[in-house]
Amino acid sequence: MMHKKGKNHSCRIVPPDILSYLPENVIDAIVIHLPLRDAVRTSILSKKWRYTWCRLQKLTLDQAFWKTTNNLISPTIRFTDIMYHLLTLHVGPLTKFTLSIGDLRNCPKIDNLICFLSRNGIQHLVLQFPKDNLYKLPSSFFTCFQIRHLSLHKCLINPPPAFKGFDKLVALELCEVTISSKFLVSLISYSPLLEQLVLQSSISDHIQIKAPKLISFDFTGSLKLISLMDVPLLAKLSLVDIDEGGSCDIAKFLESFPALEHLHLNCYSVQFLAGKVPKQLLSPLNCLKRLYLSDICLDAVDEASCVLCLIRSSPYLQDIEIQLYDSDSGDDDVMEELAALESREVESFSDVTLNHLRAVKLTGIIGLVPEMELIQLLLAKSPMLIRMLIEPGVGDNSPETRLKVLAEITKFRRASSKAEVVYKVA
Amino acid sequence: MAEASSSITEKFFLTLKSSDGDEFVLEESIAIQSITIKNMVEDGCSSSVIPLSKVDTETLIKVIEYMKMHSSTSSNEEEIENFDKKFVSNSINTILNILEAANFLDINNLLELCAEAVANRIKNKTPEAVRKIFNITSDFTPEEEAEIRNETPWAFEGNLDHSLD
Repeated sequence: MMHKKGKNHSCRIVPPDILSYLPENVIDAIVIHLPLRDAVRTSILSKKWRYTWCRLQKLTLDQAFWKTTNNLISPTIRFTDIMYHLLTLHVGPLTKFTLSIGDLRNCPKIDNLICFLSRNGIQHLVLQFPKDNLYKLPSSFFTCFQIRHLSLHKCLINPPPAFKGFDKLVALELCEVTISSKFLVSLISYSPLLEQLVLQSSISDHIQIKAPKLISFDFTGSLKLISLMDVPLLAKLSLVDIDEGGSCDIAKFLESFPALEHLHLNCYSVQFLAGKVPKQLLSPLNCLKRLYLSDICLDAVDEASCVLCLIRSSPYLQDIEIQLYDSDSGDDDVMEELAALESREVESFSDVTLNHLRAVKLTGIIGLVPEMELIQLLLAKSPMLIRMLIEPGVGDNSPETRLKVLAEITKFRRASSKAEVVYKVA
Repeated sequence: MAEASSSITEKFFLTLKSSDGDEFVLEESIAIQSITIKNMVEDGCSSSVIPLSKVDTETLIKVIEYMKMHSSTSSNEEEIENFDKKFVSNSINTILNILEAANFLDINNLLELCAEAVANRIKNKTPEAVRKIFNITSDFTPEEEAEIRNETPWAFEGNLDHSLD
């Protein structure tokens, strides 16, 4: 065998082909880390490798397939070819399958693939389809009874009348899926083990979610269409409202989540909760560790008071991130008036100390009075603070403003001697 | 000797013996990251020397290094990450030996780390390059090879890497 110049350790005696003679489970552990194309290519290495990839229990079929090749055949036809190769060559259980074809113009015919998966013990299924000509899941889909993780993007679900849900389901993600509210409710209620739920604007009627084991809920859509009942274990909640309108009592809303540890709200969901905002919640959020607020306008009275109410009512907060909405409004008169309001809110913090707050991140700071007051407040009330990161907004780029903001921040009293305040200029 | 020096903190020590006959004394709490060793300890075989007939000295030193780093409460995430990065830059044959040892000793995160390192040496490579890197000899006839390429042509298209890095 000829020895090419190789590396500097070429003098070492090379034992022959350790890789091929590793135990089967070790070879599988290696091949599972390969993208499918690379895994399939191992079939040509030697006879020992001929059908190794065919027994892989996890497969991912995504855009990488047709992007890496310079082929003139339409991607949909290529995809169909590849799919049939997989179906004919694969043996044994296939527990995890990811299909990501959102970039294809048309959805290929994949009913056979779904049928194949349903009969080979699929447990973790991710299907992402193109957005045009919604793909309707075939009836075989509803027989995937081993399924534990299900993620669907852009398709149509129309279950047979007798379908009773997937009783092993632990995680469910539905993004832009056309599904009847009635079926969605029954899908959730027939999944007694459900721990993670992600819904992205899948509903058009009001639904009630009852999920006694639910730990994490991530919702993007219209908050007025959803109510959460019986979720005693819920620890992570992300609510991104997409339109204005509707409102509720924040105290009542948050009362139902006694175990909440992470909370993410955007401007519309804050507005939704700002229907009635007390100074402090009667039952404090004693488990809340991380509060993340996005697209917030602190110069809007209801939003600001809701934000302050949340901070005030969460004595064990460790981490706050607030991403401010970049607005160009600069009417000074209005600003002054709002700032005064804000001051009154700030005063109500006199009896509050944030003893557990360690990290604060504020992005989109442009030096408005309410923003500076919030910074001042957090620095003064957080004796354990380790790091405050402040990123200026893109709206106001003048170096003078930034310098003014920075000068003002350095004046603020800090309750924590360890606190590092970082003003990040991109 | 090790027992005497730390009797206050009540640490237990195990002696591991490599296939080359070298003995290594290791804290039990570190060693039981290996499920194989953990089971032996639970079955009461830990009082004497534990023979690891499938692991040579060079490999065992590396495995112990890894277990020490990953069990230490003083090492933070970043240190562990840097350690792992350096660890997988060992020569490919060393990695393969560690991989085999990790499988025998049943240390799952070490197995995963090395499996991924091996996969990274295969990714994007031509079959010829993979064969050279791992000393794999093809036992296919040219006709058979052509047949395999034809079976899944999409797996062999595109710009593949010929280098042996």
